[in-house]
Amino acid sequence: MTIVKESTTTSYLQGQIVDDAVEFTLIELSRVSGASEEELTLWVSEGVFEPKGAGPQEWRFSGTSLRRVRTAQRLARDLQINPPGVALALDLLDEIDALRARVKRPHGG
Amino acid sequence: MKYKDYYEILGLERSASQEDVKRSYRKLARKYHPDVSKHTDAEDRFKELGEAYEVLKDPEKRVAYDRMGNEWRNGQDFQPPPNWDEGFEFSGAGNGTGAQADFHDFFESMFGGAREAHPRRHAFRARGEDHHAKVLIDLEDAYRGAQRSISLQVPVIDAQGHVTLESRTLDVSIPKGIRAGQHLRLSDQGAAGATPGTAGDLYLEIGFREHPRFRVDGRDVSFELPVAPWEAVLGARITVPTPDGTVEMTVPPGSGSGRRLRLKGKGIPANPPGDLYVILNIVLPPADNDSAKAAYDAMRRAFNFDPRAHFYG
Repeated sequence: MTIVKESTTTSYLQGQIVDDAVEFTLIELSRVSGASEEELTLWVSEGVFEPKGAGPQEWRFSGTSLRRVRTAQRLARDLQINPPGVALALDLLDEIDALRARVKRPHGG
Repeated sequence: MKYKDYYEILGLERSASQEDVKRSYRKLARKYHPDVSKHTDAEDRFKELGEAYEVLKDPEKRVAYDRMGNEWRNGQDFQPPPNWDEGFEFSGAGNGTGAQADFHDFFESMFGGAREAHPRRHAFRARGEDHHAKVLIDLEDAYRGAQRSISLQVPVIDAQGHVTLESRTLDVSIPKGIRAGQHLRLSDQGAAGATPGTAGDLYLEIGFREHPRFRVDGRDVSFELPVAPWEAVLGARITVPTPDGTVEMTVPPGSGSGRRLRLKGKGIPANPPGDLYVILNIVLPPADNDSAKAAYDAMRRAFNFDPRAHFYG
């Protein structure tokens, strides 16, 4: 896709929402997220992600897992957290997000 | 150029041991990591910590840094003494991770040259790397879809190993129904590939700007609606705002303060669409004149009402 600028019209890039209609293989998810295939495999064995399919060759990750994978990758890289630690941190972050949403919600929730 | 006190940033004395440097960095990195911290300046603090650690953890760079003297204050205008790095042979190749690629210009001037300029780690790969960026959009854009010009800062490492930020503007269609935390994939907008048509993709992580009225939780949206006591008690039809125009809704009789009313399908128009929650907030009219006071007094006499009937158990 290219940006074409004519006299007054601009063409806008059409993106695709990476939702659960999008699936990644292990290799694709590794390329997209920057996490290595080894890291991803370890995180799967910790239950951080639950891809469809029997083994690493057949694994299909939901597009919605991309955000968690990116967070996991940053935590592992920046804070040198091992896979069980990443699993725990992600669970706690989810819980904090849920609590924050409840606090922010106008009272009565 | 401003002086950066790396010891102060890491909360250390100049006599700190290498073990202290590491411990302090680890502790502060956990505290200010942007994925964990909600400090408004977490991202900047984390970058600053990474920069300070990059220098102090490396005995060679630390000695060179210490050589500039300890009279400088954080933020003070600074010129490095001539030949300050004379006689130092850096082993080179800082770890140059992506997250820390855009260091402060103080660091860049002093230590940037010591970083290895590796033009492309995966030069042998035909396909360009995928890139990521975070962008904030308005909630209204997710309701209606929108066309936006988005400006991104791209760190570029030049042949000397220095990092500069280049600005890049993209015209992007924001699809209707997108939610915070989702990624928008723009094909071929990542790093260029070895041959034409093999560029990587660009992933935009979407977030919403804070909205003065609406709160978002996944695909659901909520807001607080002020109502008069008689509207809540007797019921009312009220025109309420949504992020996409107004709708008319019914407040059922006998509603209490804090009641959540659901407008089904009026949340973010994803598939399936979310809901819009209206939370009633009963506002009392002020008794600031005689007739208003008389009305409250008439209420007092009309009700045999004890708000604390169940209060004392």
